[in-house]
Amino acid sequence: MHVIYLHSLAGNPGLSPALEQLTASGIEVVAPTLPGFDGTSGWEPPHDHLTWLTRVWDVLDSTGALPCPVIGASIGGMFAAELAIFRPESVTALSLLAPLGIWAGESPAADPYALPGAQRLPLLFASEVPQAFEDQYAAFGEGGDVARYLAQVAGASLVWPIPDRDLDTRIHRIRQRNRILWGGRDRIAPVEVAMRWSSVSEPTIIESAGHLLEWDEPDAVGGALLEFLDEERQRPAV
Amino acid sequence: MKTLWFHLMPYPGLDERFDREAKSVWVDLDRSYFDSSVVTRSYHEYLDQLEYAAAAGFDGICVNEHHQSAYGTMPSPNLMAAALSRRAPDAAIVVMGNSIALYNPPTRVAEELAMLDHLSEGRLVAGFPVGTAMDTCYCYGIQPGQLRQRFAEAHELIIRAWSEAEPFAFNGRYHKLRYVNVTPRPLQSPRPPVWIPGGGSSVETWDLAVRHDYVYAYLSYYGYEQGKATMDGFWEYATSRGLDDNPYRAAFLQFITVAETDAEARRLYKEPVEYFYRRCLKIPPGYAGAPGYQSEATFRSKLSSQVRKAARDVGSEPPTFDQIVDRGWVIAGSPDTVRERLEQSIGDLRFGHLLCLMHIGNMSDELTKMNTKLFAEKVMPQLRNRWPGYEDKWWPEACM
Repeated sequence: MHVIYLHSLAGNPGLSPALEQLTASGIEVVAPTLPGFDGTSGWEPPHDHLTWLTRVWDVLDSTGALPCPVIGASIGGMFAAELAIFRPESVTALSLLAPLGIWAGESPAADPYALPGAQRLPLLFASEVPQAFEDQYAAFGEGGDVARYLAQVAGASLVWPIPDRDLDTRIHRIRQRNRILWGGRDRIAPVEVAMRWSSVSEPTIIESAGHLLEWDEPDAVGGALLEFLDEERQRPAV
Repeated sequence: MKTLWFHLMPYPGLDERFDREAKSVWVDLDRSYFDSSVVTRSYHEYLDQLEYAAAAGFDGICVNEHHQSAYGTMPSPNLMAAALSRRAPDAAIVVMGNSIALYNPPTRVAEELAMLDHLSEGRLVAGFPVGTAMDTCYCYGIQPGQLRQRFAEAHELIIRAWSEAEPFAFNGRYHKLRYVNVTPRPLQSPRPPVWIPGGGSSVETWDLAVRHDYVYAYLSYYGYEQGKATMDGFWEYATSRGLDDNPYRAAFLQFITVAETDAEARRLYKEPVEYFYRRCLKIPPGYAGAPGYQSEATFRSKLSSQVRKAARDVGSEPPTFDQIVDRGWVIAGSPDTVRERLEQSIGDLRFGHLLCLMHIGNMSDELTKMNTKLFAEKVMPQLRNRWPGYEDKWWPEACM
């Protein structure tokens, strides 16, 4: 069995310990890097959301992994939900980890871009920033700063000026079996946002986790994902 | 040499509570720092000062655009320019300018500037800045990575709207208009002179000015010594692409304070100058670093804007008047001192349009006018013939 994992606002630094639990149990995790996050020179953000979706679908189709269960975190959660809505035949089951795309205006969400660059990444975690994120662009050598900057440009384009892409007008079309997990200490999308998803399914709140909950609480998140995917594994192949 | 008088219209009533408690002068400054009666009085004083400068003989008077800020309280420079166009009958009206990426559709800017060109009887200079990250990305919500694409599209649309004889359809990425037919067209033909103001070093800003044969205007608040690298960069970029070295291709903004003696200048201007550098540049580093505001090319070149410098400096001890003058951020002193330093700066940086910022921080109306008068009478005449033999092709004919 295989699943697709769509990464967060902070890029694709490799599998989190939570996802490694899936691989350890025999599930292949296909984790493509979203457009703009690979540090490619010359990349510019798409001018609108539909063009963003199209570019992401091009990447997903190129993996050859669809249809399959899709897991998405943060902006990856937003893309996973959009895929389930617009291309329902591609998603056999859906797991969302603090997806962005819906805004709860009354909740005190932090703006990472009001902070100096060095203080933005820590805002995504309840615990220390994992080393994998610090090392993410090390392979670029001296060009690492540029690659990191371009990835930040991509991320900012998905959440600027506020992380709302009107997903609330579409999520009623999610028909797949799904599971939503959220960090109780999420400062980017506070738990009030999670409640906006309750019409899709009741979110499970992991109290001690921040926005990137699969890194903050790998055992809890990995366990929940395994439990969710086990049912898919037991489903007879069509 | 053209000499212009430039107003930022800062809010003059920030106090010690601002020093202690406020995070930023821009974007999210609490409204409790503003007294409406001060704003009303300031607007009238500031317009008076611009009119006074025009009457004193300055070639042009300049207004500009900032949002949600006590650094500059002029969200709409076009409103101010409209008021000035009837009361300052001879000077060029230099709108420095409209942040054209912010307007939807940008034909609104084309319309308003065309109106201003008629109101001023052909004395308009149209400035098109990209705008600061605070104004464009944080206050007006433009995605930083889209800002320059939006700017480029708005620029193309405005120029075509002014230039094309027949109505046309415009199919841009951000603006789709079936009928573009701006009415009236500008009085100046084919259009008013266009200047590209910038607050820092950006390859794209130089490129825009050079490709379209516009004036590059460096709005520096760190003076001519630090501005030299930027202006050298511009001239190298321009001449390497085949342009001549006509100094009127460039404008440079310089803070200037004049008194009868150097000591008197220190006594009179210390407070307003320190007010500006302590309070009006209080910008947190986050607001200077919107990802995508800098293009990849500019990021790679390690060029940095002066907003980033101001933001880096927040938290450190604000500079004193003497330090500010020593560093050349402000040219201050007797008429002879000011003339000498300006002559050096004009030659070193090679510009034909001097933008004089002579109201600084919380400077009083009386002091501002004295500063303006002394400069106009005792400094400006010595500078006027600085660039003989060069034609200013970027100036309204009505003001020649």
